[in-house]
Amino acid sequence: MGELLLKAENIDKSFGLTHAVKNVSLEFNKGEIHALIGENGSGKSTFTNMLCGIYTMDGGTFTLDGEEVHPKNQVDANHHGIAIIVQELGTLSGLTVAENIFLGNEDQFIKFGIKNTAAMNKKAQELLNEYGFSRISATAVIDNYNFEDRKLIEIVKATYFHPKIVVVDETTTALNQSGRDELFKHMLRIRDEGSCVIFISHDLGEVLHYSDRISILRDGDFIATINADDVNEDELKRLMVGRELGDRYYRTDYGEKVSDEVVLSLKDVSVPGELDHVNLELHKGEILGIGGLSDCGMHELGKAAFGASYDRTGTVTLGDGTPINDINTAINHSMAYASKDRDNESLVINDTIQDNITLPSMRDMGFLLSGKKMKEFANKYAKMMSVKMVNVDQFVSNLSGGNKQKVVLARWIGKGSDILILDSPTRGIDVMVKADIYDLMDRMRKEGKAVLMISEEIMELLGMSDRIVIMRDGKVSGEFTRSPDLSEESLIDKMV
Amino acid sequence: MKNKINRSTIREILPVAGLVFVIVLFAILTEGRIVNPTNLKLLLSQTYMLAIACMGVFFVMSMGCLDFSQGSLMGVTCIVVCYLSNINLFLAIIGGIVAGGLLGAVNGYFHVVRKIPSFIVTNCMMYALRGVVAYLTTKSPVYAVSTISNLNTMPFMLTITLVVLAIGFFFYKFTSLGANLKAIGAGEKAARFAGIKVEKTKFLVYVAAGAITGFAAFINAIKVGSVTSTGGNQLETQILIALVLGGMPISGGAKSRFTNIIVGVLLYKFLTTGLVMLGFTTAMQQLIQGIVFLIVVFLFSDRESIQVIK
Repeated sequence: MGELLLKAENIDKSFGLTHAVKNVSLEFNKGEIHALIGENGSGKSTFTNMLCGIYTMDGGTFTLDGEEVHPKNQVDANHHGIAIIVQELGTLSGLTVAENIFLGNEDQFIKFGIKNTAAMNKKAQELLNEYGFSRISATAVIDNYNFEDRKLIEIVKATYFHPKIVVVDETTTALNQSGRDELFKHMLRIRDEGSCVIFISHDLGEVLHYSDRISILRDGDFIATINADDVNEDELKRLMVGRELGDRYYRTDYGEKVSDEVVLSLKDVSVPGELDHVNLELHKGEILGIGGLSDCGMHELGKAAFGASYDRTGTVTLGDGTPINDINTAINHSMAYASKDRDNESLVINDTIQDNITLPSMRDMGFLLSGKKMKEFANKYAKMMSVKMVNVDQFVSNLSGGNKQKVVLARWIGKGSDILILDSPTRGIDVMVKADIYDLMDRMRKEGKAVLMISEEIMELLGMSDRIVIMRDGKVSGEFTRSPDLSEESLIDKMV
Repeated sequence: MKNKINRSTIREILPVAGLVFVIVLFAILTEGRIVNPTNLKLLLSQTYMLAIACMGVFFVMSMGCLDFSQGSLMGVTCIVVCYLSNINLFLAIIGGIVAGGLLGAVNGYFHVVRKIPSFIVTNCMMYALRGVVAYLTTKSPVYAVSTISNLNTMPFMLTITLVVLAIGFFFYKFTSLGANLKAIGAGEKAARFAGIKVEKTKFLVYVAAGAITGFAAFINAIKVGSVTSTGGNQLETQILIALVLGGMPISGGAKSRFTNIIVGVLLYKFLTTGLVMLGFTTAMQQLIQGIVFLIVVFLFSDRESIQVIK
């Protein structure tokens, strides 16, 4: 360790009025896992995306092994020995596993203009076996595999050619525990081979455990690079946000009695291939946590409760007996839903903040709409949620993950919804915004609203829920009541 | 995104600037003939039908859909209007609107219920309805009652066009309709999760677009007085060019503006009239129009958020 591999000098990038990365200079060594941390919008992803040729930089240079590199695109970056595993899906549907692995690098299998598919499949299968993913078939179409497996395939795709730099951008939030373990195993292997892993994560425990050095960005500025052994989680948080965080992160109360009044009940709810006769009751003023492995059906459960599932059987009814069979009825009866798939299902991504906030509330504003009133409405709730923005006419596609989620929540708070279904509410979101969201949920609970929180994070379930329901294979497999003695293990036990 | 902000301002300004540029250019090239009052009056008289028909397609395109059937649909509804005008003028208007609405419902049914891309559905409808027009006019053109041309005065036609546009503007700007259509264009799935009745809205917009063109057929009948087998031919292309020239994003969505219709129709009409006055052949005019269209699409395409047209 210690030998310089990549030197970034005065890297700069603006998006319109947002100065995303400000003159950042950083050094990465051979044989290290170098974590890059910071709040949402601090410029981590923008920085690595420039390194990988996804964005072009406004200024600065990257020097890799003494040679200046300017990747034009991801494939070009690969040729320079730089690879990335991204936060969202990075594989292409409709192609086979092998085609995905060698995407953009098929040349090695082409002789006299003809691609030798058999050789490519064989090579891909060898790689998969080598990585310990032999259950994945190289010739199968990638759509046959779930989100988790596709991430594993991405690991192969990004690292089989022994790149000098591998960027792991917020990948762990998408993976369950076993997937994470696989990823870490390969990160450590890459490090031991003398390459460098640039590791972006919001999970500070993970960061401290696996990285050698940690660099912190804040609002596009470089703050510091420190050895992982010299800091603890609280110090990192302080460096990230630039001020002390309160002690309270999750709610701290225990043993509060939850009302017996049922506001939403699911009876015998089934969705083919997803849910199997689920029964559930949500009470007034309750935070009901739903946990499980990512394909246990809990995400579909949120949709089913919101009347958004196709092919659902069984009944979903409100406290007063109103059946919920479509999204419109749900919204009209004060229900709200924030999807795990924020960019496609929660937000109209190519639209303004204002339109996104006002959409479901327009029906309450009468037949005639005043532009001024709508702007005031959007401003009021965007400010209430402290969305970082230039103004409400800004498009949501340019916002960071945490800010996007704030817009989603602002919409439903504006609508005044009483039953909130929040699927992975803090997915890919930094500590500060997380704390805000937890605080908000706690306040809602006290106001007598009911929250159905679906989460893949066990700590979040333990910290926030009045009651926790664990699911496995589309069925409810366990239920727990809020208690300081409840352990992670007992939940995990019901998940697998 | 510094670029992008500039780009969106350009999008707002360029159509208007283009309109001024085209007027000034042709005023110079035609030595002022294009802007003399007689010609302006003539030019204006050609915009009524186009502007009204554009409005329906504007709603459709806001949702990120397309409609190529409007030309043939105009032909068919115009036959209905002309035929019924011999019985009663009021009945003719209603008949045109109802016929247009029904044909629009066919578009809507196949696109929304049967989930076939609008591009395919409306293209098929274009050919099918063109066949209907040709069949019904085989022996002779369908004539409207001769007194219908009494209505062909500027005050009447201009007023009626402005009233129709004003109604459309009102719904687009001051009710939730506009925001809903734009949201569907910008992200259909999310729009559904925000409680917009996507299917119902789409279907009704296709019905409305047909009905609006059915009304435009009445305006056309006043002006032309009869329908031949080419009635309404290529209107769909004119509409598309006009809207895009007016600054309408081809994939619809949040950047759609109602003013795109008015600016676009005027720009298109000045352009075509100017080309005619300069003595270009029809073939040359089409070539030039095609090139201008391509340039405008090139300038305006939002390549960063490009999406498949539904």
